[in-house]
Amino acid sequence: MTTSLADHLRSLPDESLAALLQLRPDLVVPVPADVSALAIRAQSRVSVARALDGLDQFTLQILDAARLTRNPDDGTTATDTVLAMATAGPQPPAPTAVRAAVGRLRALFLLYGPEHALQVVPAVDEVAPYPAGLGRPAAELDPRTASLCADPAKLRRTLLAAPPSARAILDRLAAGPPVGSVPPGALQAPPLGAEDPVLSDPTNGGGPAGSPVRWLVDNRLLVPVTTGSSTAAGTVELPREVGLLLRRDSGPLGPLRTSPPRVAAAPREPKAVDSAGAGQAMEVVRHTEGLLEQLADEPAPVLRSGGIGVRDLRRLARTAGLDEPMTALLLEVAYAAGLAGELEMPGATTSRYGADQQVLPTGGYEVWRAASLAQRWEQLARAWLTMTRQVGLVGRRDDRDRPITALSAEAERAGVPATRRAVLGVLADLEPATAPSPEEVQDLLDWRAPRRSRGRDAAHREVLAEAAQLGVTGLGALTSYGRLLLGDLTSTDERNGDDPLGVHADIESGDPSGAARALDALLPAPVDHFLVQADLTVVVPGPPEPALGVELEAMTELESAGGASVHRVTTASVRRALDSGYTADDLHDVFRRRSRTPIPQGLTYLVDDVARKHGGLRVGLAGAYLRSDDETLISEVLADRRLESLALRRLAPTVLCTQYQVGRLLGALRDAGYAPVQEDGTGSTVLTRPRIRRAPPRVSVTTRTLDPLAAPKLPMPRLLGVVEHIRRGDAAARAARRAPAVVRGGAAGLGGGPVPAHTHSEALAVLQQAVRDKALVWVGYVDAHGATASRLVKPVSIGAGYLRAEDERTEMLHTFALHRVTAAVLAD
Amino acid sequence: MSGGPLIVQSDKTLLLEIDHPDAQACRMAIAPFAELERSPEHVHTYRLTPLGLWNARAAGHDAEGVVDSLIKYSRYPVPHALLVDVADTMDRYGRLQLANDPAYGLVLRALDRLVLIEVAKSKKLAGMLGDKIDDDTIRVHPSERGRLKQALLKLGWPAEDLAGYVDGEAHPIELAEAGKDGRKPWTLRSYQREAVEAFWAGGSGVVVLPCGAGKTLVGAAAMAEAKATTLILVTNTVAGRQWKRELIARTSLTEEEIGEYSGERKEIRPVTIATYQVLTSRRGGAFTHLDLFGARDWGLVVYDEVHLLPAPIFRFTADLQARRRLGLTATLVREDGREGDVFSLIGPKRYDAPWKDIESQGWIAPAECTEVRVTLTDAERMSYATAEAEERYRMAATARTKLPVVKALVDRHPDDQVLVIGAYIDQLHQLGEYLDAPIIQGSTTNKERERLFDAFRTGEIRTLVISKVGNFSIDLPEAAVAIQVSGTFGSRQEEAQRLGRVLRPKADGRQAHFYTVVSRDTIDTEYAAHRQRFLAEQGYAYTIVDADDVLGPKLPTVD
Repeated sequence: MTTSLADHLRSLPDESLAALLQLRPDLVVPVPADVSALAIRAQSRVSVARALDGLDQFTLQILDAARLTRNPDDGTTATDTVLAMATAGPQPPAPTAVRAAVGRLRALFLLYGPEHALQVVPAVDEVAPYPAGLGRPAAELDPRTASLCADPAKLRRTLLAAPPSARAILDRLAAGPPVGSVPPGALQAPPLGAEDPVLSDPTNGGGPAGSPVRWLVDNRLLVPVTTGSSTAAGTVELPREVGLLLRRDSGPLGPLRTSPPRVAAAPREPKAVDSAGAGQAMEVVRHTEGLLEQLADEPAPVLRSGGIGVRDLRRLARTAGLDEPMTALLLEVAYAAGLAGELEMPGATTSRYGADQQVLPTGGYEVWRAASLAQRWEQLARAWLTMTRQVGLVGRRDDRDRPITALSAEAERAGVPATRRAVLGVLADLEPATAPSPEEVQDLLDWRAPRRSRGRDAAHREVLAEAAQLGVTGLGALTSYGRLLLGDLTSTDERNGDDPLGVHADIESGDPSGAARALDALLPAPVDHFLVQADLTVVVPGPPEPALGVELEAMTELESAGGASVHRVTTASVRRALDSGYTADDLHDVFRRRSRTPIPQGLTYLVDDVARKHGGLRVGLAGAYLRSDDETLISEVLADRRLESLALRRLAPTVLCTQYQVGRLLGALRDAGYAPVQEDGTGSTVLTRPRIRRAPPRVSVTTRTLDPLAAPKLPMPRLLGVVEHIRRGDAAARAARRAPAVVRGGAAGLGGGPVPAHTHSEALAVLQQAVRDKALVWVGYVDAHGATASRLVKPVSIGAGYLRAEDERTEMLHTFALHRVTAAVLAD
Repeated sequence: MSGGPLIVQSDKTLLLEIDHPDAQACRMAIAPFAELERSPEHVHTYRLTPLGLWNARAAGHDAEGVVDSLIKYSRYPVPHALLVDVADTMDRYGRLQLANDPAYGLVLRALDRLVLIEVAKSKKLAGMLGDKIDDDTIRVHPSERGRLKQALLKLGWPAEDLAGYVDGEAHPIELAEAGKDGRKPWTLRSYQREAVEAFWAGGSGVVVLPCGAGKTLVGAAAMAEAKATTLILVTNTVAGRQWKRELIARTSLTEEEIGEYSGERKEIRPVTIATYQVLTSRRGGAFTHLDLFGARDWGLVVYDEVHLLPAPIFRFTADLQARRRLGLTATLVREDGREGDVFSLIGPKRYDAPWKDIESQGWIAPAECTEVRVTLTDAERMSYATAEAEERYRMAATARTKLPVVKALVDRHPDDQVLVIGAYIDQLHQLGEYLDAPIIQGSTTNKERERLFDAFRTGEIRTLVISKVGNFSIDLPEAAVAIQVSGTFGSRQEEAQRLGRVLRPKADGRQAHFYTVVSRDTIDTEYAAHRQRFLAEQGYAYTIVDADDVLGPKLPTVD
């Protein structure tokens, strides 16, 4: 007689139970009432599937071996039997590896019981119907096939007689899964006169190629299985015995691999990897900033269905000089990092109808922009790792053939962070700077968790591509700082459980993390100088210091960006600098101070020329006048046909005026190539700088845990608490079964007859005594349906024909009709 | 930080800091695949373009090497995406090959079957491809060789042309390096020799050399290499005569062997020099002089000033793909952006040398560029201020105030040959009168031009006033000073040509001077700034002086 899982669990020490709960955290959500409930849940299909999902290929194969070696009578197997089967192949794995795998399975309670009588949790068979890709035993399928299989020599002869096309089908089914579907009618005999020979067509593509299947069925090597009532499209199954015979060369479980497959590529130069990644990281930060600046200048309206329109994305991509997928990725990451957000637009502030929300940078963007390059990248990379967005979907079409737009709800996928972690985890576990091909990564994932990675090649490739685009990887290998970031995130996640008060948290403390520091060392140091050249370009040989950046932004036009930046001084840029309050002397001073090379004469002339002309025209608010000390210039403006629309009038030899507003006058004049300056009532110049709009701050997703799907890790004290709770429930339940025979069988023992009066009065006396003593009492009673039941209660009061008592287990107050109470015994 | 001299920008420009100790080595490493865009004094800018990368690929460089040199010399981390892009782009060249199949003739052969399938489907290639021979080979109509290459380049899959060339009609041509008719012996300069070798090894292609670096001799040496009948296409008659003179002097060819095919004469001889103008002239909508291309079995076609090649010539060239083609130019940059056609029809760039380098080797004179700013009189300013927009430049450029300044500049160089260059005929006449110098303009007959040039060359005439006709391909040796008073707006090409006038090597290595006279505070200054940017980008520092400093003796300064 085998023990049940519940009994087995009950017999375990607390630590072992806690270990189980730690390995399978889904069991405690919600906390099970008692050990039986725990056992039921641990054997449920969903929980078993989750446990299987996390297992590697080898462990799953060992589990299959355990299933195959079950004793048909009592369903038990033994470690040694499993070991014997696993090592039956031509390249047997080390017995220690097999034992370790069995140990893992037992720790998860997918196998339980003593070593010589291991039992497999039955739900495993539901979750994965074909152990090791083998079919059911012939005996379960078809008696005639069973008789064939019973005669090994005959079976072998039949197999050898199979034509090549049929053999190909057999080999494919033998590799698993052991069932295949055949086109309708393929199993029926062809019409008379059309008796076709077995074709040598190696494929089973339908049509006449169905014939090899028919041959196999006729020779009992395949068994047709009916699924439901339909017989038109058939399904065939390869019996286990035939499959095992076909697997002679590879062993009964197929090829076994105890360790993950090796990566063929030699590791790259770690410096080259880091360098390529760091270069990309700089790009990402720069492009993100560019995109957000774009959004600040021209916020993107939010579609009514959510997200940003295709056309807006295209516009952003074009102005940023990126392709659309990259733009979508950066946008999503920036949004997830809390750098961009929606702003409600009350009223018709946009020309487009119905657009009442816009996406633009948040206040957090300002904070981000002030951080160092490495910290900015880290914030983006963390957001990417934790965000539940599958950006690859953007631009594709959904089920209803509507395009999926960036930032829309359709691209939300809760499982993506786990996928990212799995893929990057594979890279992180390799030697540093190893660059596996996408296929190799897929193989590794297939080995690590075959049930999870199956059929997800596309998603994995996407993660690899995004990691490369974001500079987490370089030249296909995980960068050193990417490794640190990943480790940091993982350890933060694990620590969260044991550190609920955040005592050890250092992320928020403002110090750069290890990843940021590592990246920082790779990035060019900020420079505080530039080189000025005769063609009026200013080259900053590295990222500019913030102060230098502000100065350059004010007085030059950016021409080329990247590790260094090239700026050009133009008439317009100098004018802009003068407009925003610099004087010619300030500009000369900046150039002199910052330049490592002599200032070319042309630049000095340019600044002086513009400064000389700058402010030569003065525009006033009052009545919108235009005055200049230069009579000729006034004449020039007055004669300018492009300004005709302003209807300028000469007020004095040096003053013109117009009926229009100042802004229009200024614009028209500047468009026409003049350099006017606005002045206020007292005659001093008015300086203008553009104002910046920001969306309200948003919280970055980085504050979430890495994988929202994963159940929270529970610390040992809590686990022990849970265990204690379960224990208590269990004790109570067990106690319930231990009720005294008098109470349990009170009525039954007397053949269901009327309750003897003396028993009843005795019970009443016991109860009254118990009310006084506040003692626990076993109460036997007949419920409304006439069934007898017993309960352990603490009586509270007796009166009006009713007993009121408190059930300790459920902490509820029960009311019993006294005439139904059959017995009462003081609990010991 | 490796501290290399190169900074790789994400917009695919490369910044080379030339004061860095490794700058020279880096320049040598990146020159094959990156195009020099600007070379001001401190930081040179190169650009990675698909054409440049394909040029490098055609010259036998592979992506690995390009990526290596970028990483090796780069000061900062190079973005991963850029490296991937470089490798991808380079990988596209030569996936398709044009080859001669012994059985089927000209075929397009694929090293990558998918590419062939992709391009064969393209509508742009409709009618150019013939039958499919096998999965990797498609027959090509020989007449479509050029157009196919053009179209494939547009599709981004440039084909490698391995189909070879016809030898053409043989004709003995030798370089007369020993001296001819009593002239002094001479030798090809080293870079000219390299240019010819690079061209000949590549089959067809373009040689980029600055003005005055002796492109004519590269052409002559290529002819001596081909030893076949040659068709030379030049921009105009004057340039053609120059070619002829040079060929007679420097090669074994005689006057009788060289024909001129122009508006005036229609001679077809073993070496024929034709002008673009006559070839592209039409009568009744048809090109009447196309027969020239078929008149002889040419072994070599030389295109002078490829960057000016008119569009119809491209069309003719598409039919000439079986002949060796040599393009000569100072710059591959075309104002019409048809660099791709030059690449596909004439050939990849085979040789390039930056101006400054050739100059430092002493082959072209160092030039000192000066901008002289004149202040307009009040009356001139007033009339400028009130002028119509389209008249403004002319008003500013032709201000009479410029005349005394020009005179003063000419007087500064009493011993030098001086060219005064302008764009407006009226102004040139004024200048001619004021300076008492002869004028060459569009209406001057070729005979008169040659007479004046000869007189200028011998030193009989010291000062010459020339109009826009002087922009192209005329040879004015020993002009040590050029003064430009007006130009075609801000054309950079014009600036290059004019600068070229004074960059010819001086016998005594004297300093060349290039003056630009501009009117202060007018649109003239803006255009001048635009042109000067070009000079600065070529590495010529310029100074700005005030007209008063030129006109009067310097005022004694009181310290």
